Amino acid sequence: MRSVYLLLPALLLLLALPVSRGRYNDDFDDGEDLADFADDNDFAEFEDVSEDTAAEPEMDPPPRVAPPAQPAEDDEDEATVELEEDGQEDGFEDSDTQDQDMYSKYDPDEFDGMEKPSQSLKDPLIIHTVPAHLQNSWESYYMEILMVTGLLAYIMNYIIGKNKNSRLATAWFNSHRELLESNFALVGDDGTSKDAVSTGKLNQENEHIYNLWCSGRVCCEGMLIQLKFVKRQDLLNVLARMMRPVCDQVQIKVTLNDEDMDTFVFAVGTKKAMARMQKEMQDLSEFCSDKPKSGAKYGLPELLAILTEMGEVTDGVMDSKMVHYITNHADKIESIHFSDQFSGPKVVQEDGQPLKLPETKKTLLFTFNVPGMGNTSPKDMDTLLPLMNMVIYSIDKVKKLRLNREGKQKADKNRARVEENFLKQTHNQRQEAAQTRREEKKRAEKERIMSEEDPERQRRLEEAAQRRDQKKIEKKQMKMKQIKVKAM
Amino acid sequence: MSANNMSGPQRVNKIIRYKPPSTEANPTLEDPTPDYMNLLGMIFSMCGLMLKLKWCAWIAVYCSFISFANSRSSEDTKQMMSSFMLSISAVVMSYLQNPQPMSPPW
Repeated sequence: MRSVYLLLPALLLLLALPVSRGRYNDDFDDGEDLADFADDNDFAEFEDVSEDTAAEPEMDPPPRVAPPAQPAEDDEDEATVELEEDGQEDGFEDSDTQDQDMYSKYDPDEFDGMEKPSQSLKDPLIIHTVPAHLQNSWESYYMEILMVTGLLAYIMNYIIGKNKNSRLATAWFNSHRELLESNFALVGDDGTSKDAVSTGKLNQENEHIYNLWCSGRVCCEGMLIQLKFVKRQDLLNVLARMMRPVCDQVQIKVTLNDEDMDTFVFAVGTKKAMARMQKEMQDLSEFCSDKPKSGAKYGLPELLAILTEMGEVTDGVMDSKMVHYITNHADKIESIHFSDQFSGPKVVQEDGQPLKLPETKKTLLFTFNVPGMGNTSPKDMDTLLPLMNMVIYSIDKVKKLRLNREGKQKADKNRARVEENFLKQTHNQRQEAAQTRREEKKRAEKERIMSEEDPERQRRLEEAAQRRDQKKIEKKQMKMKQIKVKAM
Repeated sequence: MSANNMSGPQRVNKIIRYKPPSTEANPTLEDPTPDYMNLLGMIFSMCGLMLKLKWCAWIAVYCSFISFANSRSSEDTKQMMSSFMLSISAVVMSYLQNPQPMSPPW
């Protein structure tokens, strides 16, 4: 509406402009008008009176038939009349139609000096759009509404996912609680309380990771169970899982005392998992250098593979009960890893090899997949109970499993070989480290000598240092002589 | 408490307390998502504030939400809240300076 109100005065202004301009021009252009004033003029006798205007002084001004072109045009009226007179003269002689033509015709001289209206409109009319935020409509904010809706959807998903994970964890714990309490004196510990009392509940590390520490049993130090659920609380993760489904996992890590396990390294699991672990795990890559063997040889399903240090170990571990357990629940088993040299995945250090062998611990590791491929329900947690039975059985079995003499010798040789390789690889580095240490010591000593104020003591310390260096050189020379003698 | 009183395999004298595994030993096992999202959220909110870009500020809000959802319970809530507040302030400031609605890129 506002734009219409703006238009009207603008139009009026624009139309008025050429009109007023035309008025000023006419004064200079109408040379013919001067002829009107021939009679009144003092210089009439010198003026050239054209033929057109000759008839004028004779004729009376005919009745004005002035076409009302512009009501404000006073000066032009005379010119209009004059021209009309001319036109009228002709008109009387001709037919009536010419009269009509004359009147309907637009006399070009009438508007002398006046520009065409369309040309004078130099500035086109710009209609500005009202800024969107001043409009009284929420529709223009649709992007913001979309964003807020997205955020609300994220929050809703967070709450729903968190609750689902929590329900799954509680269901798992309820189904396994009895078995655990009958086997362990301490079920549930977060490490913060003063007394070693069972908390009887899971430790929540995350919205999708739950821990449980069990301890106080024969044959083992303790057992850490980690329920690693998928991130149901993160909407991005939920969308990613629609492309690539992932399972919930239960990871069990049993740490053993030194007397609880003999020296061997063994793993069984899906082919993919075995290939990955052989590359990633420090102990598997060092001790189990052969490619994973198919489990079919030992009565296991085809999809499972075995990594072992030596054949005897496999025979010892894969007794009939274990095979029975694994075969029945093969779909839920991701990997089973027994090792006396377990130190975790290979540590990638930036500055070359680590100087020390990583610390090892006798460990049994189990990774189980929860059935359902992400769409698990609390009922599915009961199906994992037999697997926990297998874990307990394994702990007892490993305690009883002992290699025979041959196996033991082989195992010891393997371990010595690995250590030697490691020492060789780090030899250069250890040398450099020793060299730097020696230089540091010398420098420290020199500084001490220099800082001594008493010149006597200074001299004495210097002499002592010199003597020590001398002794070292002599020792080295002796060694070289001995080596030469031995070589000969 | 002697072991003979227990009928099962439990042994009270063998109880060992829980020690949370140190994360320095296994940096690769830790999930880096919450830290990355936190950093990203802060960068986007600073961009949104300085360059007056509305979409930057909105993305910052999303990043801080994602970081919160993936965070560990041991993490400091103050850090979470500060990044959250920063992203909200970025959105509010962008709209105060320029109340025009956001235009889609298409």
